[in-house]
Amino acid sequence: MPTNPYLNVLLMALFTVIFIIACSYGLGSVARWIVRKRGGSPKNQENTFAGYFFAAPWITGFLIFVLVPLAFSLYWSFTDYRVTSSAPPNWKGFENYQTILFNDAGFRASIINTLYLTVIGLPLQMGVALFLAVLLNQKMKGEKIFRMAFYLPVILGFNTAVLLCWRLMLNTGTGIINQIIRSLSNAFTPISYLNRTVIYVQEIITGFFLGLNTGKYNLLMNILEAGFPADNRVPLWVQSPLWTKMSVIMLMVWGCGAMMLIFLAGLNNIPKELHEAAEVDGATGWQKFWKISFPLLTPYIFYNLVVGLIASLQIFEPIFVLYRDNQPIISSTISMVYYLWQKTFSHFEIGYGSAISWVILVIILIVTVIQFRLQDRWVTYDIY
Amino acid sequence: MKQYFPLIRGAFLYTLLTGATVLMSFPLFWMISSSLKTIQETNSPGIVWIPAQPTLEAYINIFNNSDFLRSYFNSVFYVTLAMAGTLISIAAVAYAFSRIEWPGRNVVFFLMLSTMMIPAQALIVPQYVFFNKLGWIGTFNPIIIPGYFAGGAAMIFLLRQSMAQIPKELDESAFVDGANHIQIWWEIVLPLVKAPLATIATFLFVGLWNNLLTPLMYLQTIDLYTLPVYVSTLYNINQTVQPWPTIMTAAVLTTAPLIVVFFIAQRYILESVVVSGLKG
Repeated sequence: MPTNPYLNVLLMALFTVIFIIACSYGLGSVARWIVRKRGGSPKNQENTFAGYFFAAPWITGFLIFVLVPLAFSLYWSFTDYRVTSSAPPNWKGFENYQTILFNDAGFRASIINTLYLTVIGLPLQMGVALFLAVLLNQKMKGEKIFRMAFYLPVILGFNTAVLLCWRLMLNTGTGIINQIIRSLSNAFTPISYLNRTVIYVQEIITGFFLGLNTGKYNLLMNILEAGFPADNRVPLWVQSPLWTKMSVIMLMVWGCGAMMLIFLAGLNNIPKELHEAAEVDGATGWQKFWKISFPLLTPYIFYNLVVGLIASLQIFEPIFVLYRDNQPIISSTISMVYYLWQKTFSHFEIGYGSAISWVILVIILIVTVIQFRLQDRWVTYDIY
Repeated sequence: MKQYFPLIRGAFLYTLLTGATVLMSFPLFWMISSSLKTIQETNSPGIVWIPAQPTLEAYINIFNNSDFLRSYFNSVFYVTLAMAGTLISIAAVAYAFSRIEWPGRNVVFFLMLSTMMIPAQALIVPQYVFFNKLGWIGTFNPIIIPGYFAGGAAMIFLLRQSMAQIPKELDESAFVDGANHIQIWWEIVLPLVKAPLATIATFLFVGLWNNLLTPLMYLQTIDLYTLPVYVSTLYNINQTVQPWPTIMTAAVLTTAPLIVVFFIAQRYILESVVVSGLKG
């Protein structure tokens, strides 16, 4: 093997292409042979060969990179396998799973954090997305430019560079966000009260969630005892465990463009006649939105809910970039995937990490199934 | 009075839209503005909206920083190589699912759709062991090669939907003229699905360019770092003063290709997302 990393991967890519073409020919030929044995027509044989020939990249990839790894990780999840030791893995039964579900503070923290993001973050994100979609749906001139501006954060999304820019803006002392809050609070007393109310409510809610996490509610009690925040208080974005999750929620709200496009599609699908009929009956804009648009949007809200919940389990980059080195506060914000990464690659405990992956997989499956079960209770599909 | 209502409503809507646009693009503005500041200005307790005397010092420094330039080259190299293989294999598989009738097609297609439920992260642990056994840790292989096996069920699905809409007669007349499947795929079908291909290429580019988790796991040495991994090392909590102008310069140069690609491809993306609900 050459030592030049670029040449090395180029050769490997070439080898992979040859391997895939060989697999394609092999799979296609085997399939054609089976069809011929069963007495298929020449046309049928040719189509079978072509079908498997073209689909082979996915089929071989599925076997190599999905099915076999899943099977191995299922086996390892019942063992104490470590990648660093040469000893064969020992069978441990359900011990890994028991530890994860009942005795693992980090995993518990990641569940509580996901719950917080789902209960507080997702409604905020969807609210903003819906608001922007309704604004865009007024069919104003220049709508396309606004739509691009609202979607751009999705593209930049969780790029490390952009996250570092947020890190700069969220700095407690010198960050631009707190600077603006500070000067507005100093200039207008009502804004100061608004700011402090938001801080108070936010800290009480987060304090409660942190209490859920540790089982001790000291922090919540401290906040309540301290009472209404002093007039020079600003949010402690990336500094305090009470604010770390709120910073992640800010990023989620900023990247709400993807949800906004889904809502926009939903609004476009609402028949014009419904609104026209309501106008004839004298309905106001407000009534039209809540009585017509909103019920018809519920499938889209539902879709965004499923996708958003699953995405919040998988948040990785913001936590890595914003809090990686900040050991005391990182547990207040870790997601399940971050926890999986941390656990697996700090000690290379493959057995334990595999068990965590399977728990995540099962949670995602359960969430999806439950949401699909519940949807017919409240999602309107049949007005059209 | 009544005739002024549409006017007031329009002004109100534009104010809201402009306000939202300013808020949404503020991080970008702040990134560029900070890259032109001095370290003192970025860490000062006062607000410096636009530096009074913009300095290009950070840009000059970063173009003399060989680690940054190498990581930029690494990113371009890895994204190009990964995109080429992924796009072609996805196009081939989508062709199999839309233009050819073969026994087992529905089963394989259903299997492919069901893999969309499996989060990629559930596979990182066993894949890491697998790549470790192959001796691929510390090489570009693990972040490039898997894509060659038509990675990305959602993209295959999107392309299949577009290919399925092309009239069957096109292939049939080409068959009569003696063309084979590879010719029909490459010369007839692919040119007709340029727009969805552009969408997929954009999403692929964005996903690969932003990817942090797998490069972080597999590229162990600084000479192999891609941009996201290298840029994340610029911010170090142990430094008392963060070199913000340098970090923000790196950020501007990292995000520039994303913005350029987005402006070129936004027409396709925004339409196809509205149609299919595919997420970036």
